[in-house]
Amino acid sequence: MSAIKLEDLTKVYATGVTAVDKLSLDVADGEFVVLVGPSGCGKTTALRMVAGLEPITSGTVSLASRVVNAISPRQRDVAMVFQNYALYPHLSVAENIGFALANKGVPRPERDRRVREAASVLGLSDLLGRKPRQLSGGQRQRVAMGRAIVREPAVFLMDEPLSSLDAKLRVQMRTEVLRVHKAIGAATMYVTHDQVEAMTMGDRIAVLNGGQLQQYGRPRDLYDRPANLFVAQFIGSPEMNVYEAAVDASGGLVLGSQRLPLGPLEAGLLPYAGRPVIVGVRPEDLALGPAGPQLPGPVAAATAGTLTADIRVVESLGSELHAIFSIDAAVAGTRELAAAGGETDAVQLGLAYNGVARLDGRATVRPGERVAFRVDTGRLHFFDPATGASIAREPAVASTDNSVAVH
Amino acid sequence: MTGQVLTPQAPPSGAAARPASRRERRRQARLAERENQIPVELYGLRRGTVTLLTLLAFLFAIFTLIPIAWLAINSTKTQANIFETFGFWFARPFSFFHTFSLLFQNVDGYGTYIQWLGNTALYAVLGGVGATALSAFAGYGLARFRFRGSRVAFYVIIAGLLVPITALTIPLYLTYAKAHLINSIWGMVLPSMISPIGVYLMRTYADISVPRELIDAARIDGAGELRIFFRVALPLMVPGVLTVLLISVVAVWNNYFLPLLIFNVNTRYPLTVGLGLWSDRAVNSGNAELYPLLVMGGLVTIVPLIALFLILQRYWRGGMLLGSIAN
Amino acid sequence: MTSRTAWTRRRDARGIWFVAPFLLGFFLFMVVPIGYAIYTSLYTYRIIGGTVFTGAANYTQALASGEFWSGVVRVIIFAAIQIPVMLAIAFFFATIFDLGVAKFGRAFRTIFFIPFAVPAVVGAVMWSFLLEPQFGPFVRLAGALGLGSVNYFSSSLLLPSIIVIVIWEWTGYNMMILYTALKSVPRDVVEAAILDDTPLWKIIVRIKLPMVRQAVVMLVFLNTIGALQLFTEPQILSYFEQGAVSVNYTPSYYIYQTAIAADETNLAAAMAVLLAVVIVVISVASLIFRRRRGELA
Repeated sequence: MSAIKLEDLTKVYATGVTAVDKLSLDVADGEFVVLVGPSGCGKTTALRMVAGLEPITSGTVSLASRVVNAISPRQRDVAMVFQNYALYPHLSVAENIGFALANKGVPRPERDRRVREAASVLGLSDLLGRKPRQLSGGQRQRVAMGRAIVREPAVFLMDEPLSSLDAKLRVQMRTEVLRVHKAIGAATMYVTHDQVEAMTMGDRIAVLNGGQLQQYGRPRDLYDRPANLFVAQFIGSPEMNVYEAAVDASGGLVLGSQRLPLGPLEAGLLPYAGRPVIVGVRPEDLALGPAGPQLPGPVAAATAGTLTADIRVVESLGSELHAIFSIDAAVAGTRELAAAGGETDAVQLGLAYNGVARLDGRATVRPGERVAFRVDTGRLHFFDPATGASIAREPAVASTDNSVAVH
Repeated sequence: MTGQVLTPQAPPSGAAARPASRRERRRQARLAERENQIPVELYGLRRGTVTLLTLLAFLFAIFTLIPIAWLAINSTKTQANIFETFGFWFARPFSFFHTFSLLFQNVDGYGTYIQWLGNTALYAVLGGVGATALSAFAGYGLARFRFRGSRVAFYVIIAGLLVPITALTIPLYLTYAKAHLINSIWGMVLPSMISPIGVYLMRTYADISVPRELIDAARIDGAGELRIFFRVALPLMVPGVLTVLLISVVAVWNNYFLPLLIFNVNTRYPLTVGLGLWSDRAVNSGNAELYPLLVMGGLVTIVPLIALFLILQRYWRGGMLLGSIAN
Repeated sequence: MTSRTAWTRRRDARGIWFVAPFLLGFFLFMVVPIGYAIYTSLYTYRIIGGTVFTGAANYTQALASGEFWSGVVRVIIFAAIQIPVMLAIAFFFATIFDLGVAKFGRAFRTIFFIPFAVPAVVGAVMWSFLLEPQFGPFVRLAGALGLGSVNYFSSSLLLPSIIVIVIWEWTGYNMMILYTALKSVPRDVVEAAILDDTPLWKIIVRIKLPMVRQAVVMLVFLNTIGALQLFTEPQILSYFEQGAVSVNYTPSYYIYQTAIAADETNLAAAMAVLLAVVIVVISVASLIFRRRRGELA
């Protein structure tokens, strides 16, 4: 029995816009599930439908195996943390946290006790008398969480609770949120646009775009086996490099003017022999020169490829180096990337680049150099040029959860 | 497996690709507005509450419209009928046009309605436009320049808000009497141009809508301050300007006390004072014609403004005005 | 604060030219008249001897006169009744339209706002006709309801009638301001309250109302200033029912009568100054009160 279950959940606004399109997923008891995607992808709308704040167009929301579509948010036993905290500005922290209990008629002493408990879990015990305007952003966020946990609900919903905080605070609060989640143990649905938050916090992640679920699975699965081009580029930073390429008849990858060996073609790739394909290589899968861990065995030889590139810009982050390069292949990818126009502007500035490599911080590369990256072509990702769906390279890993994208 | 990946960004599915006519856009806006409200079901109301509340609103609407309806209906009646027939229905003879024509005549030497209408329009336009201009300049100056005494000036202006109009007008009248400005048009228009509330609103609006960086950029580009005001700031302040213009014009149009004191020849009266005079004369002299004239005059006075409101209410940034009053 | 160079200061100083026209007019048409009124109030015109300096004599005369004070008391009573009733009605409707719990909100709001476009004179005239003791429809209505013959202009009903007229004139305006203020309450605060299972009355009274407190206070302030200066409605009514409205019915009316009808401009000036002082004191007191409570910027 899952704590939250969405089946074909759909939201179409009266203006005709479809915000959520047949979303299906489930959240187990105690699980922390993250809904992630770019702005406007429908994640917040989906969350609000679970809360009951947004009327459902079609599909069902079930809480603890009970369909709650017709049930008012007041009775759903869900608590929500809003993006802007939504604290009652004229009430003190203690009154804010205890508001729901006061509504239920919980007697004063017990109310105070529960408020104090919640406050101590969140480190707010010294602030109980203050008003929200006297608190910092992080403190307000914790009050919002306190208001939610004091109700001891079955389900927690969080709508980008950290996005109003500055970067450093956000990293700290990530840990805080998870700590509280472990302490309370209720099923949680967490919405964010930040893929780093998603990857670090989620037990499972649902990637949404344009109202449609792209993939739902564990972080590792999303990273290693993205279901389509969107997920591949959304997860991981810097973004995966994607290019238009082709598989030639003899089983090699033709990338611009270069050719990389692919070894024996897997079943998934066979249909693409002699045809165009989209290939993706993560910046961290590009290594410099002969120095570095050697890949063992003959398999390695079959998949050891070399990608020659011209370095354009080098960004040093201390711990790592981002080598921005160009190769003579065409970039593929989602409209968002192309629409960002970065490529065109860069061309006009005489700085054409179309790829990034992530190297060790002590690597020595300089702009203007021509470099040969080592690539393990076994780690390349392939996508169908027409649909963007990923082309499976190994038999699907048997897993107990549904890490399969919706059709 | 799909994803909206390689297809060009499709318009949100289901959204109409038809050209948005104005009616269509307004409908969309209304729908969007309703979407933005919290659904009523979430409030947990008992059945019939909505109907009851709508009924109460309806009753108050009746209350609001009764005097106006009465005015409209009785403008068609003769004096005798106004008093003897049922107030809310018509009666023969239908004297609307006859009474209406009297508005163009000087009745018993008590004044000509049309002339009053012209006066009112003149005062309202001059005063309203003047008030808006002065307020826009002053508001912009206070919002975007930090000169010595700007804080003091602002407090002084707020103090001006505190001074009650009535208490100010008697002294104004006395001053005019001394300075022989009684019956002067400028005596009416010029004080109307001084609107502390207008300055306050314009300052608030300039603060919100004119970014300092834009002004600095224009300065760096070598533009003079006046030029910056007209080309950079003012276009950004347009909704606020329109709001202040509307309330200034309405304020002058409806002003009674000031013209009552400073005008003693009825050729200079605005509508308010003229109608007040007719009220007095209708009851206290013997002229029966004045009653229907008074009713007609009242009707013609309010119809343009109401029509203006109804038309403008779509565009009027009342929210901004009223929101900043609330602050 | 960034440091201000000489150039910045010079540039900023030019700002005064923008404010100058207004300040000039302000001086000429607000400061000078008040100054002149104060000056005039210190003199008295005697038939023999002309205008002589009498110092505070006019003030003592006004303050000692029961007539002045009875007018003051009357407007205070007027304000104490009219303002809460009107604000309650205005808040009631503003709330139900904001929540959307009544239909046709937009149409109703427009209708309620129409009286704002009606000059007070016309409003008073309309209602005078309606309430007219001998022929007015409302008199017939009262008769039909079995209330007997009602004289709305009698001394006991005159003030209530004026209250009704003023409520008619101003409720819509107040309602619009409250409506705007209510609309600016963040939606997610109300949604949070809904998730906390807060009953509607509590949402209105314990959450929304406190959050629009600034607007309510501002309206009380504005309405009070207006109510204390009540003039037009009594004056128009006095035409319709002479004798119903005493010469000192309200302070403003008394000042007007003193200045124009009785031609005692010096006394009138003194009373005008008194009235101004009273109102300014109330305004300043309320401003300080609000600042103390941390509500003003």
